[in-house]
Amino acid sequence: MIKKFEKSLHGSESTPVNIVVAHALEAKALIPMLHLQPFQTTSRFVQYGNSNNLHLIVSGIGRAAMEAAITDLSQQQANEEGQIRAWLNIGIAGHSKAPLGSAWLGNKITCQESGVSAYPPQLIAGIDSVAVITVDEPERTYPEDAAYEMEAFSFFEQATKYSTAELVQVFKIISDNLENPIEKLDFKNIPIWIRLLQEQIILLISKMSELVREHNDSHRIPRVYRELCSRIHLTVNQKLQLKRLCLRYKALGLEADLESVISLAGSHSKQIISQLSAQIDRVGKQ
Amino acid sequence: MFSTIYIEEEVLETSRVKNMLDRFPQVPRVVCERYGEVFNRKSQNFRLQKKAPALILAKKYGSKVLVAPDGYGYNDSRSYYFSHMLNCVYDCRYCFLQGMYSSANYVLFVNYEDFEEAIASKIEKNSGGGVYYSGYDCDSLALEPVSDFCKHFVPLFGEYPNAELEFRTKSTQIRHLLEQPVIPNCVIAMSFTSHEAGSRWEHKVPSIDKRLEALQKLQLAGWRVALRFEPLILDSQGLTPYESLFAQVFAKLDARKIHSVSSGLFRMPIDFHKRIVKLYPDEELFARPTTTADGMIALKSEDESLQLAAIEKLLFSHISPQQYYRCA
Repeated sequence: MIKKFEKSLHGSESTPVNIVVAHALEAKALIPMLHLQPFQTTSRFVQYGNSNNLHLIVSGIGRAAMEAAITDLSQQQANEEGQIRAWLNIGIAGHSKAPLGSAWLGNKITCQESGVSAYPPQLIAGIDSVAVITVDEPERTYPEDAAYEMEAFSFFEQATKYSTAELVQVFKIISDNLENPIEKLDFKNIPIWIRLLQEQIILLISKMSELVREHNDSHRIPRVYRELCSRIHLTVNQKLQLKRLCLRYKALGLEADLESVISLAGSHSKQIISQLSAQIDRVGKQ
Repeated sequence: MFSTIYIEEEVLETSRVKNMLDRFPQVPRVVCERYGEVFNRKSQNFRLQKKAPALILAKKYGSKVLVAPDGYGYNDSRSYYFSHMLNCVYDCRYCFLQGMYSSANYVLFVNYEDFEEAIASKIEKNSGGGVYYSGYDCDSLALEPVSDFCKHFVPLFGEYPNAELEFRTKSTQIRHLLEQPVIPNCVIAMSFTSHEAGSRWEHKVPSIDKRLEALQKLQLAGWRVALRFEPLILDSQGLTPYESLFAQVFAKLDARKIHSVSSGLFRMPIDFHKRIVKLYPDEELFARPTTTADGMIALKSEDESLQLAAIEKLLFSHISPQQYYRCA
């Protein structure tokens, strides 16, 4: 099974997923697993990427660091094309009795400080889920049946500003429990646990990629839009009108017809929009 | 069937919820305080959620019986609707629910007794009468095996013979209806579009044959059935799709016994349409030319009223005009 997923992950298909980890040790196992290379950027955050559009950023520990990393990366990736990315937080957590190295998706993320909860929609089957509680200081007693960690709530809150909640997920790996308290955590184990979860991680990334690709394909704006925007002056409102017209042509299977308006690029923007509009109203009624 | 079941803390220990949960031991459960924490939040995507909807078991507060929108019903009696559920298990591309909610999860309100009380009180305020529609924000019967909704609400209307209950549905889940005594003031109204429209825009909906089979069983058992031909989406094929649909429908049912037949053109509030266009920019139906009037959007068509009249004429070869009404 893993080979099938690996194939899709490292094949020609785009993998528009941002992985956010708090600690460099969490990145350590993911870099070779996902065939990532250092990503050159002026950002203060260490980043990795691959040619399939998969990206990894190391945020640092805690809620503020997580927020800053997501803001930084989303600004770096901003585009006008309506294309979005999935966001995945992979990190360690504590739980009262869960075995070390076991892992879950978060289905309810509660900020301990405010008591507010967020609920990442569970679209991905095949991976068990658990409640996650985000704390400001490491938790040692684990009173609830939940994974305790320090970033998930901010991650979800921040990443959903740039994507849709269905494409924002947290994956928590148990690093400490009542029998193995956090003070005794051997950091060398973190990359080992992550490596052992390779199949689940690749499954998760593959399924998230599939969802984003489908979303982005359906929202892809025809090339003509960009072409016209670069050639003629359009007001903000005209850009919106043109974008909607281009999408309507595409939905009606008339994308090829749009090409003809490029030759009108010397014309006035109003003329182009009204011509496109009149033509689609004629054709769309048939 | 459900990706996750969310349960409001307040209803977690009720026997109805426990029974429902027993049916789905494998589905992950998440407890929440109020359903609004999960349902219809910003940054949710209806289209993506529709791929793996969750069930939310909740308690309905506030008004439970609302005045039906103008033109929704078939007569001039006071009309109301109530929604024990938000969202539909089917995935019809023309459906306004896609623009109404940002979430495709199903909210099932389990405090049936509170609904009963509100309905009874409304009936009494209307001197024992009124028409009460179920199926405005959901499909009335589609989740019946889980919800036992009909099983619960039909007997209530048995106590109020002058009040009428209409279940609006595309579902074939009629077992609970067939298992209980028929009451004359309950109407099961099945929605149909043409074969062509169905195969293009209705996903997960039982076939026309299966729906007709269900209606036939109900009719033979003595239940009053109704037909809702909507939304009519008029195409270049003209009347042909409706000729064959009507021939198929009326070959199966006893037309004289049909409670009512209605038709209605594709209409939607402008704001809902805008949201749906954003969700489905690749959908041909929403790329068609439109017109707007009174806050509603419709497909642009020069001979719409002529075509509608022609469809009605076709219908009148099967039913009497007295059985028919046109939806606003």
